[in-house]
Amino acid sequence: MIETYAIRRPEAQESPIARQIREDLGIDVARCLECGKCTGGCSYAAGFDYTPRKIIQLVKLGEFDKLLSLDALWTCLSCQLCVDRCPSGINIPRIMDYLRARAHRANSNITHKNIEKFYEIMLSDIKNRGRISETIMMIKYNLAIKNLFANASFGKKLFLKGKLKFFSPRTHNIKTIQPLFRRLSEKDGQA
Amino acid sequence: MNVAFYPGCSHHGLAQEYDHTSRLICSHLAVNLTEVEDWNCCGATAAHSLDHDLSLALNVRNLAQVKRGGHDSVVTPCSGCFSRLKTAAHEIRHDPDRLAEISRKLECPLPENVEVRHLLQLIVEEYSLDRIRALVKKPLCGLKAAAYYGCLLTRPAAVTRFDDPEQPRSMDNLLQALGAEPVTWSYKAECCGGGFNASEPVIALELGQAILDSAKNAGAEAIIAACPLCQMNLDGRQGEMTPPFGGKYDIPVVYFTQLMGLAFGYAWRELRFKKLIVNPRKLLEKYCLL
Ligand code: SF4
Ligand code: SF4
Repeated sequence: MIETYAIRRPEAQESPIARQIREDLGIDVARCLECGKCTGGCSYAAGFDYTPRKIIQLVKLGEFDKLLSLDALWTCLSCQLCVDRCPSGINIPRIMDYLRARAHRANSNITHKNIEKFYEIMLSDIKNRGRISETIMMIKYNLAIKNLFANASFGKKLFLKGKLKFFSPRTHNIKTIQPLFRRLSEKDGQA
Repeated sequence: MNVAFYPGCSHHGLAQEYDHTSRLICSHLAVNLTEVEDWNCCGATAAHSLDHDLSLALNVRNLAQVKRGGHDSVVTPCSGCFSRLKTAAHEIRHDPDRLAEISRKLECPLPENVEVRHLLQLIVEEYSLDRIRALVKKPLCGLKAAAYYGCLLTRPAAVTRFDDPEQPRSMDNLLQALGAEPVTWSYKAECCGGGFNASEPVIALELGQAILDSAKNAGAEAIIAACPLCQMNLDGRQGEMTPPFGGKYDIPVVYFTQLMGLAFGYAWRELRFKKLIVNPRKLLEKYCLL
């Protein structure tokens, strides 16, 4: 005879971070079936410290500190593959964005500082010019990570093809862009 | 047909040949492009990675600029920009309340019902394969090409609403209409890691190499790209990848617009093939396409 047992209802003991994710993003991790399709398809699960399926489990378990220090937050490629694979419609990269933003604001234990730095440089470029200048961004990044020769052979190839430009057009009406940065990021800081 | 054009930041520098050939193909197909007035960067991975609302705000501004220019439809050749613009358009449609604050900050109403399309999508949706076939002057006979879609062109399906995210076919069909032979391969919709090209090249190289291997094993002589980030990674980083059985990779990574141009009878120089890092000259000569 097949034994019957009471199903543990995740929603009855929703963790604080699971609740925040549900309220702020409208994503209910209680719907995760633990099927592992997200991990199976993930572009870089093999390089993650916790696979996507396990990350959802950490959310359910309320392992907030662990979540903020995940290396996978920084090596996730935002490729959206797991979104289409998940039978429960759980948007994992959106959860990654949310946790990453909080790790960034909390200045917590971030393992891939270089990736964070790269994003910061890119955003400051957009804030100041409205658009990115790839060449200037690469130089700033190399200075920031204190490795002037990072990407040197790649850069040389681009240079020889006339693809590195020191001057590139910007957004003229920059006044309409800067407020978006200031106020919205303040709001996110309290999230 | 009139449509707004969002070129994206890489079109000033790293993807000049894509920008040029995108405009060329559009004019050939009588698609009248008007560049979005004073557009801003879509924020790429950086914005949504650190501040999701900022990413939305930047793209709501872009969509508002599209409207301001009198358009209801915008097209972009970059899969990354496409994904960010389309996500914003999607959120405006499905969750306008959440974006109310953004519209207040921009001091303009939310730009509703702006249609966002990738250039490949616009072409396959507006032009039947028969019409494309009729325009071909120099069929790309014999050329074995791997149509590469990458991740963001078709995913997530609920947002992009374009092609099949697991087994896309649109570019394969287009290549076939141009006379080429699209190969069957399993990495056409995998991520190439191009977003980490500069910040974490180890990942970009690992994922990129898997794509080159898969294309080669399927017998492809060229990979056809529809995104400047993918192209730059697969083409520009190829020299740094080491094939598992020795030797060097030497597989041209060409934009689909360049191949369309070639089939429509444009010259080598006009299509800016020389800007590519792996030179496709030998390959094209082999099939008498130059
Ligand atoms: S979005 Fe991130 S977690 Fe999802 S499949 Fe891609 S790399 Fe993996
Ligand atoms: S694919 Fe969805 S349901 Fe399955 S384990 Fe991943 S998050 Fe859970």
